[in-house]
Amino acid sequence: MPNLDYRKPSRAGAWLDVRRRKLGMWAYALNRITGIGLVVYLYLHLVVLSLLLGGPAAWDSFVAVARSPYVLALDVILLAGILIHGLNGLRITLTSFGIGLGAQKAVFVLVMIVSAVALWVAALKIFRT
Amino acid sequence: MNMLKVPLQIFRYKPDQAPHYDTFTVEIPASAHVIDAIDAVWSIHDETLAFRRACHHSSCGSCAIRINGVEKLPCITRVTDVWDGRNPVRLDPLRNFPIVSDLVVDVAGFFQRMSAADMAMICEAEAFLPFTVDTFAVADLDPKLVELPDNFSRFSRFEKCIECGICVSACPTMAADEKFLGPAGLAAIHQARKKTNDPVKVEHLLGLADGEHGVWRCHSAFECTEACPQAVDPAGKIMALRRELIARRFGKILGKRYA
Amino acid sequence: MIENPFTEEPKPTSAWLWQVLTGVGLVILLGLHFIANHFVAKGGLRDFKDVVAYLRNPIILILEVLFLLCVTTHALLGVRAILLDFGLSEPTERRLDQILKATGILTVGYGLAVTWIVISK
Repeated sequence: MPNLDYRKPSRAGAWLDVRRRKLGMWAYALNRITGIGLVVYLYLHLVVLSLLLGGPAAWDSFVAVARSPYVLALDVILLAGILIHGLNGLRITLTSFGIGLGAQKAVFVLVMIVSAVALWVAALKIFRT
Repeated sequence: MNMLKVPLQIFRYKPDQAPHYDTFTVEIPASAHVIDAIDAVWSIHDETLAFRRACHHSSCGSCAIRINGVEKLPCITRVTDVWDGRNPVRLDPLRNFPIVSDLVVDVAGFFQRMSAADMAMICEAEAFLPFTVDTFAVADLDPKLVELPDNFSRFSRFEKCIECGICVSACPTMAADEKFLGPAGLAAIHQARKKTNDPVKVEHLLGLADGEHGVWRCHSAFECTEACPQAVDPAGKIMALRRELIARRFGKILGKRYA
Repeated sequence: MIENPFTEEPKPTSAWLWQVLTGVGLVILLGLHFIANHFVAKGGLRDFKDVVAYLRNPIILILEVLFLLCVTTHALLGVRAILLDFGLSEPTERRLDQILKATGILTVGYGLAVTWIVISK
């Protein structure tokens, strides 16, 4: 057997490379990014909840910080992640069961539009309250 | 004849040198396909350029590469469709395959996945001789059904898939998971499953697809279906396999027996 | 002859199905959690006594526990899905499953413990 030096490219970051890719790939990359962000948020949130163990003194002072516009802005970003991940997840579920499979790109556009509208409405409510 | 001077920037790799790009300019007819330009590079400039080509009409799947970063068959892609008239047309080998040299990739793993579905390789159309209607008119012959050996039933390979590997190159999961069966392999399983009612065979084929690195590793990027030059729709076939697997899972919970 | 590793039937898995089921569950449960905590609550956030009152409601408690189970399962299955994409060896995959199961149990356990302490105060 000849000793052939095959180049075996194994690209761990390939899922992130959306250059010259179609909408389905964008949906996949976005779902993964929002998913990772949400896992990080989940554990941050659980850690923050431990402040409840410090009683009203600890928790209520945290709530005061949580009302600051910087935190509210982060909440809007969080909501964007939730909307995109959730709605796209529903799209993936439906297409996996054959529903809307042929229109998967159009459904993704719809998901993004609905997310944007819902986010706008929610952001207004968050900053007005 | 309208001739064009087209620059091509081609990925080069030989075992004794680092990967790099070489740019060649070839003069070809305006109506030429990209494979003609590659042929011209080989014959005029550099006969060490390694590439695959055969039928020139998208039926063999040999020539699949990336043109300007996108998976295509160069034999059916016109140069004028991918050249902006100025910048070189970039040619790369397929993604997610080991590179042998230049534009040639190692397809052994690909065919291992395809043959996991254990399909015989006789195309339905090829079971008749002579092949074309025009030949009948010229040769005054009637089409004759080819006699298959006794132990062969009328299998056909998937009528659309030409095993070009483009779907595998486009798939983001294939990029990092060497255990993944991939769009072509899973579409092959789906096709083999459709061709049989033998419950033992069906159970085996579905079983091949039911692993962590079978249908469940697909993340619905749909790049395979987008890139496929033959409308095989591997993503659709993966989803169909998923539906059947889930239906059987619930069926088994409810006490149904399948094999 | 080179052996073909793809002809062997692998172990079947329901992980993806659980991911979908918990995902759909989360659309409902997270929706409820969000509405209850940020759109029903005065000013969009609950202070300490509001949190205690909220969690002492038995229906709310059940829903929040279900939510905790769903979100932890979905999150860790998601992490698992990303890591499995890298074609890890079988022993590594088994070790990964052990670590994720343990993480899930600890996460849910922690959530239940904090909840219990808060509502019993």
